[in-house]
Parts: sequence; C-alpha cells; structure tokens
Amino acid sequence: MKKNQIDRVWRWQITASAAAALLIACLLAVSFGPVNLNFGSIIRTLLGLPNGLENEDRTLLLELRLPRVVLGALVGAALATSGAVYQSVFRNPLADPYLLGTASGAGLGATIAITNGGGDLHALLPIFAFLGGVLAVGATFLVAGRLFADPSTLLLAGIAVGSFATAFQTYLQQRNSAALRPVYSWILGELTVANWDVVKWAGFYILIALFILIRISKVLDALMLSDEEAYSLGVSPQKIRLIAVAAATLATATAVSASGLIGFVGIVVPHLVRGLTKRATNRSLLSIAFVGAAFLVIADLGARTLLSPAELPIGVITAFVGAPFFLFVLRARNRGSQ
Amino acid sequence: MINIENLSVRFDNAEVLQSINLDIPEGTWSCLVGPNGAGKTTLLRTMLGMQSYSGSIKYNDREIAKNKSLNIAFVPQRPSIPAAMSVAEYVMLGRAKLDGWGKESAHSRSIVHEMLEATQLLGMQSQLVNTLSGGEMQRVLIARALVQEPEVMLLDEPTSALDLHHQISVLNKVEEIKATGVTIISTMHDITLGAMYAERIIIMQSGRVLLDGESQSVIHSPELRSAFDDRISVHKLENGRPVIIAAKRDVTI
Repeated sequence: MKKNQIDRVWRWQITASAAAALLIACLLAVSFGPVNLNFGSIIRTLLGLPNGLENEDRTLLLELRLPRVVLGALVGAALATSGAVYQSVFRNPLADPYLLGTASGAGLGATIAITNGGGDLHALLPIFAFLGGVLAVGATFLVAGRLFADPSTLLLAGIAVGSFATAFQTYLQQRNSAALRPVYSWILGELTVANWDVVKWAGFYILIALFILIRISKVLDALMLSDEEAYSLGVSPQKIRLIAVAAATLATATAVSASGLIGFVGIVVPHLVRGLTKRATNRSLLSIAFVGAAFLVIADLGARTLLSPAELPIGVITAFVGAPFFLFVLRARNRGSQ
Repeated sequence: MINIENLSVRFDNAEVLQSINLDIPEGTWSCLVGPNGAGKTTLLRTMLGMQSYSGSIKYNDREIAKNKSLNIAFVPQRPSIPAAMSVAEYVMLGRAKLDGWGKESAHSRSIVHEMLEATQLLGMQSQLVNTLSGGEMQRVLIARALVQEPEVMLLDEPTSALDLHHQISVLNKVEEIKATGVTIISTMHDITLGAMYAERIIIMQSGRVLLDGESQSVIHSPELRSAFDDRISVHKLENGRPVIIAAKRDVTI
C-alpha cells in the first residue's frame, strides 16, 4: 500500500488463482476414476498433439469423463454465482439459488415428467424441470404483487409458492409409488446423464446467464447499499435487481434441469470466496463462478470414486462437505461480530 | 440554489407531500423537523429524484428529475451494509459515480484515505462494518457520502442512534462539510440540536411546511407551539439560548 492511499478492493490475481484452481480440478477429475489416465496424455489428446490417448481410453476421456466434468463445472458455476447474486439482491447472507421456488417448481416439473410420462415424457424431464422452475418463479413474482416493492415480500412469496409446489409433488408421488425412486434419485442430484448434447443446451443458457451476471457484477455492489444511496450513485436499484434475479433464475433452472437438486454450492462457495478474500464486493463473481465449478467437479470426482464401482449421488457429497462447512462459517461469523 | 415550487407527492391515494415551496441557498444547512410521518424523509427522497412528483424541484434552474448528472449524496438513517463488508470497501463505493463502477483509481484511493482520516476512521479501514459502534458507523456513512464529492448532502436523522457525545461530534463534522460549500439538508427530531447547527429550520406536519425561517426566529416564534399541538415547552438557558422539550401532559392513548 502506498502511503496516503487505501488498498485496492479487488485484484485480478485473485480471479486468476480461482481460474487456475478450476483448471487443476478439471485435470484431476478427467484423470482419476476406475481407470486412471495419465496427465500428459490427456493434455496431448486435448491439444491434438501426437502421442495422446488411443482407443477405449480416448473414448473414455472424450465421450464420458470430459462431458461430465464440463457439465459439473457449468452447474457448479451456475449455482455458486446465482447464490452470490441472490445474497446481494436480498441482502441476506443465507439466501440460496433455490430461494424463489425454483427448486420446488423444478421438482414438481420433474415429478410430472416421471410419473405421467413412462418412456416418452421421461426424456423430456429437463424441459419439464426447467419450465416448472421458471413458472414457479413467475408465480412468486405474481403472488408478491409489485416487482421488488419489497425484497422480504418476494422471499415470503417464494416460500409460499415453493410449499405449494412441494405439496403437489408429494401428492403425485403418493399416487404413483413406483415413481418414488427415480424422483428421489433426481432430487439428490446426478451428473451421470452427462453427454455432449446435455452440455450443449445447458451450457447455452448457463453461459448466457453468467455472461449477464458477470457484466453487471460491478454495479451489483449498489444493491448492497440502501436504495437511496444506490440512487444517489446513479443506479436504479429496481432495474438491476430485476436483471440480476432473471439471469440468476435462468442459470439455476438450467442447472437443476440438467443435474437435479444439488444443495449447498450456492451458499458454501460465495462464503468461502468472500471469507478468504475478506471482500464483500460482487467483483468476486467471476472467481465465485470458477471456484463453484471447481468445487462441483471435485465433489463429482468423490461421487464417482469413493464407493467405486458404485456411485454416490453428488448432492450427498456436497451436503456432507457443505453442511459442516456452513456451520463453521456461521460460528466464525458470530465470533467476529461479538 | 434549490427551488422547490408547489411540490406534491402521492402514494396510492394519499397525498404525503402537499404544495411545498422552499428556496434553499447554496452552502447553507437547512434542517427539517417534525413528528414521524410528517413527510421529512419523503421530501429528502424526492429531492434525490427517486420519487415521482408534481410541481418542480430545480437545482440551479435544472429540474432534478431530469438531471442524472447531479451529484447529491444521501446518508441513510438505517444502514444496510452487508456484515462481511470492510469500512474501506464500503467507503470506496462512494467513488462509483465519479470513477465508474468497479474502477478504483489511485486518485480515488487517496480521496478515500483522506476522508477516512477526516472522519477519524483511518485505523479501522479493514474492520468489518458489523463490528463498529453506532458512532463509528455513522462516521462511515458520512465518509461514504463525502468521497462522492457532492454538491448537496441529504442526511436522514444523522444523530438518531447516537449518544449526546457522538451527536455533537457528528454534527460538528457536518458543519465542517458545510464550510467547504456543500449544501446540507438534514432531518432531525431534536429541534434544539437542529437550531444549534442549521441556519434554517423547516417545520413539517402532515406533508406540509408549517414554519420555515432562520433558526433562531423559528424557535422563538409564537406559532412553534401550535405547530407541535402545544406538546412542547420552550425554556431559556442563562445565556439566553432556548431549549425546546416535550411538554408533560395527560396523554390519552
């Protein structure tokens, strides 16, 4: 720090470190599994250089592990970033990406697809889940009345809509007990369905949403002030909230449709990044996206390898790591404020 | 110069500000006084350009609602700063309008340093806001507004959460800011304290301006008591300075 100047609030080196962590996580995840692949061969294969992987190993890397790792990274980035954005918009450190009824709506959509569809509709599960999530958020805004008249009204409306969707989902499950297991396994989250087609459509929506959120990340800091202060700095808080929530909901609904409900990423990762950097600014959003992606890629590596050849649902891993971590963060915060 | 003419603000069907007319010269301190619900905070929000209104509010002959380039700072009554934010990070946000969001020039970091020093916060720049006392927090809010280099500073009840010692220290700081040419408009419950600092007192009730004038003449005015429905009594100290306190009466609730 120069004399007579305060320290910089954000440094690009932090973002670069987060990007490096993601690269390392991806390399570890494509390398390890029931069959371990050599780092050097993986890199040579990906860069199209000679002496890369061949035959089954090449197929394993390019058609099985790589799409799964890429989907995990996309979903992790989407959930972590949306969580951080919801926390800023609702000025609530415990807000998570499933806040406005997205999860329950998506769960209801998925249950409708599984219970009524048989073979045909089951293939449309992601679309049903996506529509369910988006419709639930739409209903939340409708119930809340005026757009962002008051963030806490919106929160309560989200809880009401979520409860309604969950109740309806439970009713459907009761009526179709055969569907209990597939619905349950979807709720716990899974990346086993990953292939390049899923990566393509999920990536399309998630990257659009992330692009918007990263673009507005600097202005999002205005939402951490009172509305009057934000306005005095030339920002219309209503407009920014609307754009932020729309983009975060798109990212969450897409992530849920692609991989089911994976909990804790949206709370753990933003707190981890903000805690380590000791910064509250949303300029950390890109770093949060990278760390979220790395976190889920590593969690999925655990899901694949810990009980190999069996697989654990990834939601179980994130909850196992996330819940104790979350309690640790809460305790540390309470100590800090005492 | 701020000219407010025939200003009215409606919420749904209620008129919360009615036909307000005020002329506020540059570099002065005006204090809005009145009971809760009198419309003081709404008037501040409207002067910020946040509220739709009828009538006009002009700053140097330009309508506030149409002039986004105006640099008016606002110091809120209740801060809503995230617990995990540091003092320096919060104060730095005040530079956003001048520098652009997310930018932090060396010049801005110097200004923030300077204002932290001026508000006696320099040693606390890395401290998280949720660890601050009420007086420190108020100074942080003021420092954030100051780095904005505003032409006008609106303060909503700047002393309401503070003990007497900190009330005086915050008001002294605002007085210093006024001395640099910034126009100050504050709301306050304590008319005596307001009259000690502001050169002008504007008494509001039910969305209207009841009394408006030079501080000493307002607190000596015979209409003051009726403005407060006879619920105040005015006493004089030995040095002649008036003190206004709530009058004890039988109250029916």
